[in-house]
Amino acid sequence: MSTAGVRLTGLMAAALLVVACAGPAPPPAELRVETAPIGADTRMTLVAGPDLKINARLKPALELADGTVLRFDSPRLTADSAYFAEPPWAQLAGSRRIRGTLRASVCRVDELVCRSVTLQL
Amino acid sequence: MPRPALLFALSLATAGAGALALESAGRVEAQARNPFLGAPEPGAAEPGPAPAWRNTSWLNSDHPLTLKELRGRVVLLNFWVFTCYNCTNTVPSLVDFDRKYRDQGLTLIGIHTPEFPPYAGEHDKGNVQRALAKHGIEYPNAQDNDNRTWNLYGIRYWPSFVLIDKKGVIRYEGAGEFHLNDGTYDLWDERIRELLAE
Repeated sequence: MSTAGVRLTGLMAAALLVVACAGPAPPPAELRVETAPIGADTRMTLVAGPDLKINARLKPALELADGTVLRFDSPRLTADSAYFAEPPWAQLAGSRRIRGTLRASVCRVDELVCRSVTLQL
Repeated sequence: MPRPALLFALSLATAGAGALALESAGRVEAQARNPFLGAPEPGAAEPGPAPAWRNTSWLNSDHPLTLKELRGRVVLLNFWVFTCYNCTNTVPSLVDFDRKYRDQGLTLIGIHTPEFPPYAGEHDKGNVQRALAKHGIEYPNAQDNDNRTWNLYGIRYWPSFVLIDKKGVIRYEGAGEFHLNDGTYDLWDERIRELLAE
C-alpha cells in the first residue's frame, strides 16, 4: 500500500472511530425552566420543545425543599383546554437559587398518551 | 494488503463493532430512562399469567374485585387518570365496550393511577367519583394511589390497556387514545370478541 493509501486508510479509520464512539445522542432537552427577575422575585417559565405539549389539566408543579409546592399556570390554553397554549409560569419569592423537584405531565404531539416527567432542579 | 495494514484494519473493525455494541446497549438504557421516547403500538403481549392486583379502594363495585373471582371472564384493564385528556377522550369507547360485552362475559376495570402526589387532587376518592359521573363510567374502578398495580403490570403511559383471557392470561397490551369506531377501536373490539369466543 502506498503512503497516500495508508494515510487515506488512517483517515477513514479515524472517521469510523469518531462515528462509532459517538454513542447515543443525549436525551433531547425538551423541557426546561427559564428564570427572569420580576421586581424582587423570580419568574420561572416552563418551556417545552416544539414536539411537546404540557398538560394544563394537571398543572406542572415545583416542589421546593421546604415543602412548598408552586404550580405553573397560564390563562392561554388550547381550544380544548387540555394543554397550555403558551409556556406556563410560576413566581418564586426572592431571587434565591431554585432547588427542588419539578413535575410535569406532557404529551408528544405525535402520540396519544400522557407521560410524567420529573426533573431535579 | 501488507500484514501491518491488515492488523490495523482488523483492530479498527473490532473497535468499531465494540463501540456500536456499547452504543446499542446505551440506547436500551436511555429508552428505559428517557420518558420522551415513543409509546408502543397496541399489540400482542408475551402470554403470561396476569399478576393479581390487591387494590382495596373501589368505585362502582360493592367489594374489591379480584382476578381470581373473574376467572372465566375476559378482563380489560384500563390504566387511566382523570387529569389525562387522552384518557378521558377514550372513555366513550370503553363505555361502549362495557355496554356491548358485559353480558357476554367482559369485565372492564379502570385502574385509576395518579400522576402527581396527593396535592394535585388525583388521589381523592370524591374527585374520582365525580369524574366517573361526568364521563358516564359505570364499570368498576380501583384506586391505585400507591401505583402498585401500575408497577405490577409495568405500565408507563396513560392511558394503557391490558386484555386478559378467561384463564387469567395476558393476551394483548397497548397504550394510547382511541375513538369510537376508529381503527384502534376496531382492533380492540376484534380482540375482545376473539377472547370472548374462546
